[in-house]
Amino acid sequence: MTSDGALVLAVPKGRIQKELMPLLAKAGVVPERAFDDPDSRQLQFATNDPGLSLVRVRSFDVASFVAFGAAQLGVAGHDVLLEFDDPEIYAPLDLGIGRCRIMVAEPVELSKTDDPSRWSHVRVATKYPNVARRHFAARGVQAECIKLNGAIELAPRLGLCRRIVDLVSTGRTLAENGLEEVEHIAHVTSRLAVNRSALKTRPREIGAWIERFRQAVDAAAA
Amino acid sequence: MTSSLESALLPAGLRDVLPPEAAHEAAIVEALIARFAAHGYERVRPPLVEFEESLLGGAGAATAGQTFRLMDPVSQRMMGVRADITVQIARIAASRLLKAARPLRLSYAGAVLRVRGTPIMPERELRQVGVEFVGSAAPGADAEVVALAADSLGAVGVTKLSIDLNLPRLVPLLVEQLGIRDAATLRDALDHKDAARVAEAAGVHRTLFGALLAAAGPAPEAMRALSALALGGRAAQEISRLEAVVGLIAEAAPELSLTIDPVEHRGFEYHTGVGFSIFVAGVRGELGRGGRYIAGAGEPATGFTFAMATVLRALPPPLAARRVYLPMGVPAAEARRLRAEGWAALAAIEPASDIAAEARRLGCSHVYRAGRPAALD
Repeated sequence: MTSDGALVLAVPKGRIQKELMPLLAKAGVVPERAFDDPDSRQLQFATNDPGLSLVRVRSFDVASFVAFGAAQLGVAGHDVLLEFDDPEIYAPLDLGIGRCRIMVAEPVELSKTDDPSRWSHVRVATKYPNVARRHFAARGVQAECIKLNGAIELAPRLGLCRRIVDLVSTGRTLAENGLEEVEHIAHVTSRLAVNRSALKTRPREIGAWIERFRQAVDAAAA
Repeated sequence: MTSSLESALLPAGLRDVLPPEAAHEAAIVEALIARFAAHGYERVRPPLVEFEESLLGGAGAATAGQTFRLMDPVSQRMMGVRADITVQIARIAASRLLKAARPLRLSYAGAVLRVRGTPIMPERELRQVGVEFVGSAAPGADAEVVALAADSLGAVGVTKLSIDLNLPRLVPLLVEQLGIRDAATLRDALDHKDAARVAEAAGVHRTLFGALLAAAGPAPEAMRALSALALGGRAAQEISRLEAVVGLIAEAAPELSLTIDPVEHRGFEYHTGVGFSIFVAGVRGELGRGGRYIAGAGEPATGFTFAMATVLRALPPPLAARRVYLPMGVPAAEARRLRAEGWAALAAIEPASDIAAEARRLGCSHVYRAGRPAALD
């Protein structure tokens, strides 16, 4: 683990990375060229600031890197942070990107006759077993979660289970798979995540980075 | 072969500590206790197991979910394995040491057992070392324990220490003063420092809670930001109290790096005043935490507890011991002399054909040759 030295910012691969690029630019962070190349096999990238490097990892892994302090900063979806619910991760800034929501969905056919208020037990396929279990427990429903890592929408069609808990942004994938949203769990945007111990021991440096990103977010909103 | 190794499997979160770490840990524990003693803190040693009611009463209620229970076959009563020693010290102060002069300064070291570890600290058996200062509500007591935590860690070689001061009562007081209804959601959002959710949960008070979040940071700036908030009522008293404590710590330990986080709450369930957590740059998690609480008979108390596993991670590895191999025939008096000088002297019990190789095989740094220990290599 680096103690003084350079800070590491963990960013998720894929869709969020694209939305993040303009924010990074506004915050004055210019990564080396390979970072823009999705085919690059490189994992860690230098930036124009010798005090900051980037690592590109899977979205769920951002939370692990930040929780253990391997990366002091990270960009993590609210969905990932809710699932981890880790006391070592702070989320001081809403970056306003990666906008979507976590919801419960079921086949359109089923939802015609189904009354969610009568549920006492549900079986759901999800990437978010902790979020799902907490959501259902809070409304007195026991949840059996089948953890999948992708293609959640496939589960009801193939008879794995009838309901899913998943992210939805436009709702197109849901509709294409004959599914309908029946319960809303949480709004999701990406947050700037910070390791607790790093914030306490390097408050000025980390505070300055939070401020730089805050100004970038404000500039993007303006 | 496999079956004999399988028997070495330990339950999750428990482990064997081997040489040289076990000796190193014991030495550090003793050095910390000695430093506490130099400040007038006397050692006590409560038992590992107690009756459930005494262990989980009062301030101990916060540890109920983390406590292993077992039935006492003799008294037929339920017992708990301690998950925290502070509660036991508070019990001692309120019972057997009730007549001892106040303020009472006590220290302790021992193991605790927890039902669950955390992702960054999966250990379930923890070594705790700490002090309790019972019978004074003065800001000087808060400042003394913070300064002692820093001084004792410094004495065993921890550097780059940073102490984060907290006001675990502040948010509950504000919630009460402002009549906020959904306090649980706000509390959770504040715990994660999630500014977006804090704004959502605080409603009309979003500016105030946003300012509290933003106030966290290095002590001088944070103190200025907090004083500027003009909170009123008991919340304002909490802040002026913190200001007094910060001033006294700065006098007692001017070099210490202090930060303030007015909304930190997790792990301070039984605290009633200034709390603090101890960090070292680059070391995962906290070295310890402490703060003000109410001991047994309603007495004001404060103190801190170090988690030895994290303290040891903040220290350089132990120096190799001076270990000398004594081949056959070294006189017993000579062995006694070396041991008195501090050598670990291993006497041969059989003649060895290659003495140097035998010494190395046994992990010795030296071999006894021509009347004195000679370094190998």
